[in-house]
Amino acid sequence: MSSFGFGLVSAAVLAIAAVGFTMQFAVTNVLNLAYGSIMINSAFVTYYVNTHAHVTPWVATIGGVATGAIVSWALNRFVFTPFQRRNLPPITIVMVALGMDLIGTFGLQAIVGGSYVSFQQSQGSEYHILGMFLSGLQLTIMGLAVVVLVAIHWLLRYTRLGKAMRATSANPNLARNSGVKTGLVISMTWLISGALSGLAGTVFAMNTGVFEATSAQLYIVMLLAAMFLGGPGQPYGAMLGAVTIGVATEISAAYINPEYKEVIAFLVLIGMLMFRPYGLFGSEKTA
Amino acid sequence: MSAELSQKGQVLRAVNLSAGYDGRAIVSGITVEASPGKVVSIVGPNGSGKSTLLKSLVGVVPVLAGSVSVGESDITNVAPERIATLGVGYVPQVDDVFPPLTVKENLEIGGYLLERHLVGERITAVLDFFPRLKTMLSRKAGKLSGGERKMLAMGRVLMLTPSVMVLDEPTANLAPQVATQLLEEFIRGFADHGTTVLLVEQRAKAALRISDWTCVLGGGRVVLEGVPADLERDPVFVESFLGGGARH
Ligand SMILES: Nc1ncnc2c1ncn2[C@@H]1O[C@H](COP(=O)(O)OP(=O)(O)O)[C@@H](O)[C@H]1O
Ligand SMILES: [Mg+2]
Repeated sequence: MSSFGFGLVSAAVLAIAAVGFTMQFAVTNVLNLAYGSIMINSAFVTYYVNTHAHVTPWVATIGGVATGAIVSWALNRFVFTPFQRRNLPPITIVMVALGMDLIGTFGLQAIVGGSYVSFQQSQGSEYHILGMFLSGLQLTIMGLAVVVLVAIHWLLRYTRLGKAMRATSANPNLARNSGVKTGLVISMTWLISGALSGLAGTVFAMNTGVFEATSAQLYIVMLLAAMFLGGPGQPYGAMLGAVTIGVATEISAAYINPEYKEVIAFLVLIGMLMFRPYGLFGSEKTA
Repeated sequence: MSAELSQKGQVLRAVNLSAGYDGRAIVSGITVEASPGKVVSIVGPNGSGKSTLLKSLVGVVPVLAGSVSVGESDITNVAPERIATLGVGYVPQVDDVFPPLTVKENLEIGGYLLERHLVGERITAVLDFFPRLKTMLSRKAGKLSGGERKMLAMGRVLMLTPSVMVLDEPTANLAPQVATQLLEEFIRGFADHGTTVLLVEQRAKAALRISDWTCVLGGGRVVLEGVPADLERDPVFVESFLGGGARH
């Protein structure tokens, strides 16, 4: 039961990250493989604000969130968009993103070195809920994930910007013919999803306890699994995919070797795709 | 028809226009003018460049030479979202709705440029015009039938009270009665109300019936044009389009 509890916390972290990742893919057609490196860079900004400005990590997260938003926006504006304009095959952008991920991760390592750090933060008191022992910190992360998911749902479903994002995703030319400034909508998408990557990086670091520059390097595997499990480009699917992958990997980690987390994530994905090739939420048309 | 659905038109004019993909012209030397209160139709065989022409007018395909204007504004290679602000409504031949969005959301995107407090009442006006859509507001556009979907595509464009309507084969895949109603009642009605209508129509006979002027496109050029009465008497036109020879 306790591994189920930890699974829920990992799922919460993954849900925050996967929703941002999926939004980028759905609205802008970029499979941003640099997402993990933006997460860990943001976590380090949070860490430096935390330890140098002597504020709690939650306050310092503002720095991490801003970093994620600005770096993601800039990455799209100055790297992905110029490549997309040239009408290159989609695989080109994937390779570029992969390169950016390596630059982001090892650039960070060159700056901060290879040693592990951790936030100055208490875990909060222990709570015993439904047979699970969870720390105050873990409960906060789970609560935050719920808030983020509800907020993104509300954004996409009920706001003018969110509807414009979905319209841009579904049919960019028709959106423009309707007067939607899709360039602006795409910039907003990168800012918001980038902010999520910054937040995700911070809670990821909080959840792992100690971290270093390459700690999120394999996280992209979890993100891809969560996204494809839900059906690519489906934010709600990504939420459900994140919970499935998060819980499955933690439970398996309790019984098998935790080193195999990413392998388990992909096994779950492949197993499911045999039955629902377009993901839990996807259909032939949306894939 | 409801008086406020479309508005008094402006002249949409293309002069010596060439347009195409990747710098390669698909249509060239096109001069066409659509004016308020008139239906101008474009007919021609598949692949003759009708859709490419319309797309270049609304900013989706690059103009390689010549110019496009609406009213006093030059819109040559102007971004589609700017052209929309000038009152030009465009219904593409394919991909004419946002499939994952609901009917209501499709209409809301149609009214994207409206002030927020006007969107609701505008949707009511459009739904009064297409009452069929009233019962399916929360259905995804991708799940509509062909006819319902075309109504939604037209409804989306009507959200902005267009002064110019650019319609690419709106009757394709529609049942004959629905197609006839769409052309003779709705589309002719918009023009009679003073709106400018530029229409691409596969079925030449149906197009002539509601048009004030018709251009025949062949191989990316205007090969013949005139008022319907004259075209109906043109042996070449009759041979190729009105059932003499190949049927289109
Ligand atoms: N996106 C595109 N890229 C390149 N060529 C295209 C594209 N769309 C259409 N074409 C070509 O342009 C020509 C005219 O097509 P189109 O304008 O759709 O004709 P029509 O609407 O009269 O059937 C065709 O030869 C078609 O292959
Ligand atoms: Mg066509």
